[in-house]
Amino acid sequence: MNSVSKVSLAGLALLFAGTVSVQGQGVNGSISATAQVQTPITVTGTQNLSFGNVFPGAAKAVAYTDAANAGKFSVAGQGSTPVTYSFTLPANLTSAGNNLPIGSWLGYENGTNSTSGGSAITPSASPTTSTLSGSGALFFFLGATVTPPANQPAGSYTGTVTLTVSY
Amino acid sequence: MKLLRYALALTALAGRPLGAQRPISVAGTQTLIFGVVLPGLPAVVSRSSAASAGQFTLNGPHDSQAALTFTLPVVMTGPAAATLPLLFGGSDAGYSQSQSIGSQIGFDPKQPFVITFSQNGRGSVFLGGTAQPGPTQRAGSYTATITLTVVSLP
Repeated sequence: MNSVSKVSLAGLALLFAGTVSVQGQGVNGSISATAQVQTPITVTGTQNLSFGNVFPGAAKAVAYTDAANAGKFSVAGQGSTPVTYSFTLPANLTSAGNNLPIGSWLGYENGTNSTSGGSAITPSASPTTSTLSGSGALFFFLGATVTPPANQPAGSYTGTVTLTVSY
Repeated sequence: MKLLRYALALTALAGRPLGAQRPISVAGTQTLIFGVVLPGLPAVVSRSSAASAGQFTLNGPHDSQAALTFTLPVVMTGPAAATLPLLFGGSDAGYSQSQSIGSQIGFDPKQPFVITFSQNGRGSVFLGGTAQPGPTQRAGSYTATITLTVVSLP
């Protein structure tokens, strides 16, 4: 065998070695993952439902249209987005262990802070759908009736109304 | 001289497949898009979603095998370094030899997966996933990078 033949065989060996090396190499490619998170919902109680002075044996109602005494909530979130809301309503106001029955809940929902141009609702614990306004607002107005019996003890009675809103 | 001719002929034969062999390449061709996400509501993208699934295009030697390995982020990053958790399920990735999104073999993107390139040396990988924004997730744009590594197998 002459020297030229040996060189060629050595080249052949290198060629196979090169093949193995190519098979062991890795290549990478990348993509992005993207998301656009919209505005979280906020719920704010903006006005208490206030019955003022109540007398034993005389029911007293506050209408949701009563600008000074109706309960009010404001909701803010992503504009033009559907939401689900529900109320947690007390059956009684309480004072030092005494109960003052409350019921006949009536309400109103609107994309603007007004009791016109929206929709009357019956507040309840059942989830109900609505839609935030284009600017992401929703307002709730709440009225109810307290029915103190003739022997209602005197006192300052309170209860909590909770509005829950979710996308 | 006879030996020399054999050696040169063998070199030429051995060199032909290597010269004709396609190099492996991988290219990210479509972003994994969760789109509009609302706080507190998970957003799921299927690997079969033509509009939203992440996509990679692979090229390599025809009928050869390769190992796929993803580098997956656990969060996307948004405004003021806020993070949005990302989840990948056991069948959120898919491979298609025919490069058809409707004809995939599902696999776990968290585990290495061996593929076989098609007869024309091509293939596509599709990726879905779940974005899990918290109830008070900060509003804004979130992004992350997903990398696919392809290693040729002997």
